[in-house]
Amino acid sequence: MKEVILDCFGEACPIPLVKAQNKIKELEIGDILIVQIDHSCAMKNVPDWAREDGHNVEVEEIDDGEWEVIIEKVK
Amino acid sequence: MGDTEKIETVTGRSARGSSRRKPKNSQLPYAIVLIALVGALSWFLDQRDNGTFWLLLTGLAFGYILQRSRFCFTASMRDPYLTGSTTVTRAVLVAFAITTIGFTAIKYGYFINGLPIPGMSYVVPISFATIAGAILFGIGMVIAGGCASGTLMRFGEGFQMQFLSLIFFIIGSLWGAHDFGWWKYHFISKGKSIFLPDYFGWLGAVVLQLFIIFLLYIAAEKYQEVKSNH
Repeated sequence: MKEVILDCFGEACPIPLVKAQNKIKELEIGDILIVQIDHSCAMKNVPDWAREDGHNVEVEEIDDGEWEVIIEKVK
Repeated sequence: MGDTEKIETVTGRSARGSSRRKPKNSQLPYAIVLIALVGALSWFLDQRDNGTFWLLLTGLAFGYILQRSRFCFTASMRDPYLTGSTTVTRAVLVAFAITTIGFTAIKYGYFINGLPIPGMSYVVPISFATIAGAILFGIGMVIAGGCASGTLMRFGEGFQMQFLSLIFFIIGSLWGAHDFGWWKYHFISKGKSIFLPDYFGWLGAVVLQLFIIFLLYIAAEKYQEVKSNH
């Protein structure tokens, strides 16, 4: 089980989402993908997509206007 | 403070992120100063031009709601394709339905009192220019990461890349305004302008428009169902 950090600071929506979608395909079940974002729009569509896809998702605000979306690949 | 602890104990694995978390200073003083400044500005503007205060207030309320709700017109058109989610699309459709009723009520109010109907200059001809413009705008807003309101809102939020979008948004708008006469004369005025109440009556126009929005809403819901089962 590994933990992968995807640095998407400074990238506007939908780039973080597309990167996360591509990255999660490379991961194995049980791996954790941490998407770091600072675009408020991505804060909505990244978790939405991941939940819709059936993964476990958590969002954490690590600083003012900076978030980590923690996605556990479950399928 | 309490929040930080809770998150750590609940998730366990988030400790790495939380340890980097800086202690948060209260932003309340900034908020109070900002509100005071905005208040002073609106008072000053209102002295010169009556009604500016309400325009500013409406603008601020709109921006606040846009930011807090993460409402995004770009996402409403892009996410169905990208993620299969139409939640934002449906939110926009609901907003359209509400504004349909609101705007019609305002216009009808002027109409029955025999006053000139406000906002009629926005009833512009439709033609292939509309479609071409819509496609260009669509491509542009996805690349720029926001439409007009979205760009302004995220610039206010402090997202630096959007600052660049804003500069080119202004340049583009000025350029567009500069050449608009030519486009209007050669392309736009060739179309036919349609004001629905002229064709279907006031009630008919509202019902028709709401019905179309309702159909789009159903279509959006079905789309998401199909996409998520895929």
